[in-house]
Amino acid sequence: MGTSVQVTPLSGVYGESPLCYLVAIDGFNLLMDCGWNDLFDPALLLPLSRVAKSVDAVLVSHPDILHLGALPYARKHFGLSAPVYATEPVYRLGLLTMYDHYLSRRQISDFDMFTLDDIDAAFQNVIRLKYSQNYHLSEKGEGIVIAPHVAGHLLGGTVWKITKDGEDVVYAVDFNHRKERHLNGTVLESFVRPAVLITDAYNALNNQVYKRQRDQEFIDEILRVLRANGTVLLPVDTAGRVLELILILEQYWAQQHLSFPIFFLSNVASSTIEYVKSFLEWMSDSIAKSFEHTRDNAFLLKYVSLIINKSDLENYANVPKVVLTSMASLEVGFSHDMFVELATETKNLVLFTERGQFGTLARMLQVDPPPKAVKVTMSKRVPLVGDELKAYDEEQEKIKKEEAVKKASIIKVEEVRAASSHLSESSKGDSMMIDPPSAVASSEVASHFHGKMDILVDGFTPPSTSVTPMFPFFENTAQWDDFGEVINPDDYVIQEEESNHMGNSKGLDAKPDEASVHLLLDSTPSKVVSHEMTVQVKCALLYMDFEGRSDGRSVKSIIAHVAPLKLVLVHGSAEATEHLKMHCAKHVCPQVYAPQIEEAIDVTSDLCAYKVQLSEKLMSNVLFRKMGEYEISWMDSVTEKTNEKMLTLLPPPSASPVHNSVLVGDLKLADFKQFLSTKGIQVEFAGGALKCGEHITVRKISDSSQKAGTGAQQIVIEGPLCDDYYKIREHLYSQFYLL
Amino acid sequence: MASFMTGGQSMIPNPNPTATPITREGDQLVLTPLGAGNEVGRSCMHMSFKGKTVLFDCGIHPAYSGVAALPYFDEIDPSTIDVLLITHFHLDHAASLPYFLEKTNFRGRVFMTHSTKAIYRLLLSDYVKVSKVSVEDMLYDENDIIRSMDKIEVIDFHQTLEVNGIRFWCYTAGHVLGAAMFMVDIAGVRVLYTGDYSREEDRHLRAAELPQFTPDICIIESTYGVQLHQPRVIREKRFTDVIHSTISQGGRVLIPAFALGRAQELLLILDEYWENHPELHNIPIYYASPLAKRCMAVYQTYINAMNDRIRTQFANSNPFDFKHISPLKSIENFDDVGPSVVMASPSGLQSGLSRQLFDKWCSEKKNACVIPGYVVEGTLAKTIINEPKEVTLMNGLVAPLNMQVHYISFSAHADYAQTSGFLKELMPPHIVLVHGEANEMGRLKQKLVSQFSDTNTKLYTPKNCESVSMYFTSEKMAKTIGRLAEKVPETGEAVSGLLVKKGFTYQIMAPDDLRVFSQLCTANITQRITVPYSGAFEVIKYRLKQIYESVESLPVEEAEVPTLIVHERVTIRHESDTYVMMQWSSDPISDMVSDSIVAMILNIDREGPKMTPIEEKTHEEMERMAQKVVHSLMVSLFGGVKYGEDGRLVITVDADVARLDVKSGEVECENQGLRERITMAFSRVQGAVRPIPKPQC
Repeated sequence: MGTSVQVTPLSGVYGESPLCYLVAIDGFNLLMDCGWNDLFDPALLLPLSRVAKSVDAVLVSHPDILHLGALPYARKHFGLSAPVYATEPVYRLGLLTMYDHYLSRRQISDFDMFTLDDIDAAFQNVIRLKYSQNYHLSEKGEGIVIAPHVAGHLLGGTVWKITKDGEDVVYAVDFNHRKERHLNGTVLESFVRPAVLITDAYNALNNQVYKRQRDQEFIDEILRVLRANGTVLLPVDTAGRVLELILILEQYWAQQHLSFPIFFLSNVASSTIEYVKSFLEWMSDSIAKSFEHTRDNAFLLKYVSLIINKSDLENYANVPKVVLTSMASLEVGFSHDMFVELATETKNLVLFTERGQFGTLARMLQVDPPPKAVKVTMSKRVPLVGDELKAYDEEQEKIKKEEAVKKASIIKVEEVRAASSHLSESSKGDSMMIDPPSAVASSEVASHFHGKMDILVDGFTPPSTSVTPMFPFFENTAQWDDFGEVINPDDYVIQEEESNHMGNSKGLDAKPDEASVHLLLDSTPSKVVSHEMTVQVKCALLYMDFEGRSDGRSVKSIIAHVAPLKLVLVHGSAEATEHLKMHCAKHVCPQVYAPQIEEAIDVTSDLCAYKVQLSEKLMSNVLFRKMGEYEISWMDSVTEKTNEKMLTLLPPPSASPVHNSVLVGDLKLADFKQFLSTKGIQVEFAGGALKCGEHITVRKISDSSQKAGTGAQQIVIEGPLCDDYYKIREHLYSQFYLL
Repeated sequence: MASFMTGGQSMIPNPNPTATPITREGDQLVLTPLGAGNEVGRSCMHMSFKGKTVLFDCGIHPAYSGVAALPYFDEIDPSTIDVLLITHFHLDHAASLPYFLEKTNFRGRVFMTHSTKAIYRLLLSDYVKVSKVSVEDMLYDENDIIRSMDKIEVIDFHQTLEVNGIRFWCYTAGHVLGAAMFMVDIAGVRVLYTGDYSREEDRHLRAAELPQFTPDICIIESTYGVQLHQPRVIREKRFTDVIHSTISQGGRVLIPAFALGRAQELLLILDEYWENHPELHNIPIYYASPLAKRCMAVYQTYINAMNDRIRTQFANSNPFDFKHISPLKSIENFDDVGPSVVMASPSGLQSGLSRQLFDKWCSEKKNACVIPGYVVEGTLAKTIINEPKEVTLMNGLVAPLNMQVHYISFSAHADYAQTSGFLKELMPPHIVLVHGEANEMGRLKQKLVSQFSDTNTKLYTPKNCESVSMYFTSEKMAKTIGRLAEKVPETGEAVSGLLVKKGFTYQIMAPDDLRVFSQLCTANITQRITVPYSGAFEVIKYRLKQIYESVESLPVEEAEVPTLIVHERVTIRHESDTYVMMQWSSDPISDMVSDSIVAMILNIDREGPKMTPIEEKTHEEMERMAQKVVHSLMVSLFGGVKYGEDGRLVITVDADVARLDVKSGEVECENQGLRERITMAFSRVQGAVRPIPKPQC
């Protein structure tokens, strides 16, 4: 009988929250993706925390925060110790993405969700696979084969195919069927009739403009701003869609011999491109081909400068330029600072290429009309001096003495933390501030979390007036009005008060970018100071879709082509999910599921099957007909039990009764028209039917009461009794095999 | 099966003449080396099984030129090959590919790894340029290579592909960058072709992997036969010691090496050694290969195909960016003033720069020549290993050989320890040795035979064009799925359905499920035909009843017009005074029935309007009529037929008497022959007298 399959979403349904789903196949728990959002909101991970220990394997599909962001945290706090499977680029670029996020966070806050070591530890567990590599799981997962396939969207992006006993479960989220500059389109369409397809409804309601037209508009917009002496800011991800944007810009700059400088600014920009250069075999055919012929690596960038410090931009302060910088959310990182700098001038342009994550500054700016002003918090990391330094040293002493005592209290703090997150979940709109029980406890937690990085925060006691830099939490059950979700901009602003010790800090608008990076990485005791300010948004804001996902219409046609026996829809707004569910239930398959968070649905196939042995005697009587890659034949046989378990089919002893004849074939009226006209018969389409010769019509009846995907095609041929009738019927028959 | 067409023509296309007959031949796997059978060079192995054909490698023999260097392609029909797999870029494994793709009728698909493909292009262009043969002898030119690039497809390590039911994937083989071992699976029989492989990790390459699955056949190289390699550290020490001592005595060192592959490993060793020995910094190392520079981009790009050591180094700086090694374009640019180290190709000293330098340096005692890898039989390099007193120079003069000749092998081929260890882990039931000199191969075979004496392992060492056959009887298994599988049948029960074959998997299903489990679909064709008819509808019904057993009238309230249904297949509607419409769903029997009805209606029409329906007779009347007809027909057949007293017919033929029961058709007779004749005659008479019965479906 069929393999048992259960799907339980842990996050990322009826909304845009990070992707995380539990798929149990005959009791083997596969975690499909382990995402988090740019705000690192621990409340999102509650469902995961409950099941993390029982997970047997993690399959990651894309190298971005929404797909793998929670790996370090879950490994450290939830005991998620299962091996992780991903492609080489997902591993490498995912790692860089995590580094970038961590470094950006640390620069402006005492971020303590995870450390660089945690990231490394989590990624050490990754088993790297190649596309179409059939990986046989062992032990508990015996019999399960997992294989990553090309998904498009991001470099290394994966559609997972999980096979057990010949039944396929396909997990395809954020795929792109279109071929892009650096990526091939997904191969999802080559999977036919999987038992279960899990896919997203993210783009179900979106339709894209024609690609070339979009590229041209993109370039035009950028050039318009540059020629008006403005700066274009492209908030991008660390190592995902940015690659495509870089190639577009490179290509256009080369064609037009433009001299406007382009910068790619992120904490890991140079290593990102360095690694990407060695991932040619994962990219599109045209990139591979150009390398084979000319050995020109597409990512040997000629126009884009890679920089990892914002200070490198100083020389170009008043020069028109394009800056691609992480994070796309504008919440933290260079993009945040750049935005604050550029927003006040009308000549500049902030060009979004992807929809901002929910509740981020980017999302606020993408509403129509855009807000006139936004509140932002500027934070800096500065070294400790004077009394503070002294206090820090004393603290260090104290910590050393209390080594043993600490461990016990850490556990306590953990409990408090868990409890408080439970509480805050229940009250709507409550921001998830975790107030440390005491300043000492907070530093203890920090020192424990950071391993060898502990020196950075140890002993630093946040002033009593300042709140631990945690980000606000809001529930996903948001209210909607005609313009989308009702939001309160204040919720998204980091609410930190200006530190008491402002006097100690250097001028905030001064340049110590580089200094702060150093502070981050070396062991000088430092602290974070921040102030809140309101930024007048005068610059132009624009959103263009470069997300590299299949649009709604394509998604529908791809799903219809794949025609799964059962379909599970995840990740997409409630509206989009419902829309796609209705559509698929009507046109694809009757069993469409869109489960809620933590709602386990059983998608075990109700397929019956048993194995038989085909005897040589029987096979010698079978005459196959070839149809595409199939060979097909009618077979009559009787069974015989040869041994305990095996059934053998033998030829029937006597002539078998006549069976209803079966016509096999797929008639396309357009093809048939072509065929008839080659036979010298006049044909034309008239009102959906094919009019052949004088009087004969051939039409296909689509029976709407019938579920798509099952049943036979209905074809009608009608006309008066005449020679033509029989002639055309003969041609019609020739399109089919009769069995 | 009845013909489907009214015209008597069959709509069924001729059965595929190439359909594999199920015979013993189908289970025979045939391996034929077209090259590299008991020799080293022109690797090429032809394999066919179950109508599928795979060719492994497509090399040339470096010691020959022109057509003589090719594998024996005339032994096979290139058009039948489905897949051609190239293990690595070396000339003896890949260099006849442009010829095979462009000059033969090969129509299959070619696969190699990404890095192999990138280097293949460079290497062959260079090969075409340097090979000194006449234009007629040229196997192919630059354009052929460029065209071949478009036909070559790439495969990544571990990626599983399927072509025509042949599944294959590849493992890391060590040896050179991008070298692969191919595993091919045809109908569940797995064949591993190692190509050149090495189980030892070196400075930049990973060791060959051990495949996860045991192959049924392992085609394995035997270059080094039963020899054992010295440990890598010792070889490296000997190598650097020889070079160091030669140059410190003011000598010159020539290293004839193939431009790509092992050369990179040697350069890494030298660069590292120079780095650690500052006193050598004034001694130049030259690498004389125009290719090397161009291939560097390939080496830099495909670091993911190399080992962890090099990838870690790569994170800091490019390890292939040598500090102490300078390129050398040609001998003209070479300023031969003092001690130096020159690495030059070709490795066999046949011609080119390495030969020019050899000729120049060979008579000087101070100088040294280090041969760093396997040398092919028939080349000068092979000759000098035996340290002859004299050698023939390129200009034909004979010169004394005074230069030191050292043979230190860095060629990444497996030695005996690796080969036997590899085979022991895999335990394949069949081992085929290729790519080795006859003697070495023979010794290896002997040793392996004794190693595997207690197992069932069979060893083969076929010569070129000598086929080896193996038999694999595979049971054909099918999966019955869907509606047909709702109940598992007991012994003796019938199973009927569509047998669908894709690749080598079989499924049995109900026709209705075809669309669910495959990309095929079924169709129903409904036919509607209008036949001119102006007579009374009742006449049609009457006539039909004479022919067909089941003719039902639909109640008028259900159908708006008078409607008849014949045998539940064909519907006839009296649409108007001038025509009737017939509707049925296509299948051979319905088509036949409808044809007869059409003919009948046309006939009625022709007979004119005088026809009127006769009032219906009762059942008894019908029976009586029928009996009468039976009686008179039997009389005409057998002569003496009388009614017996029990209602049976008594038939007397000569002396034999038979009794026929008209109702049941039973015949009582002592003469066997007569009884059968009567039974047969009666059944035919019955068929003619009564309407056609409804077939039982």
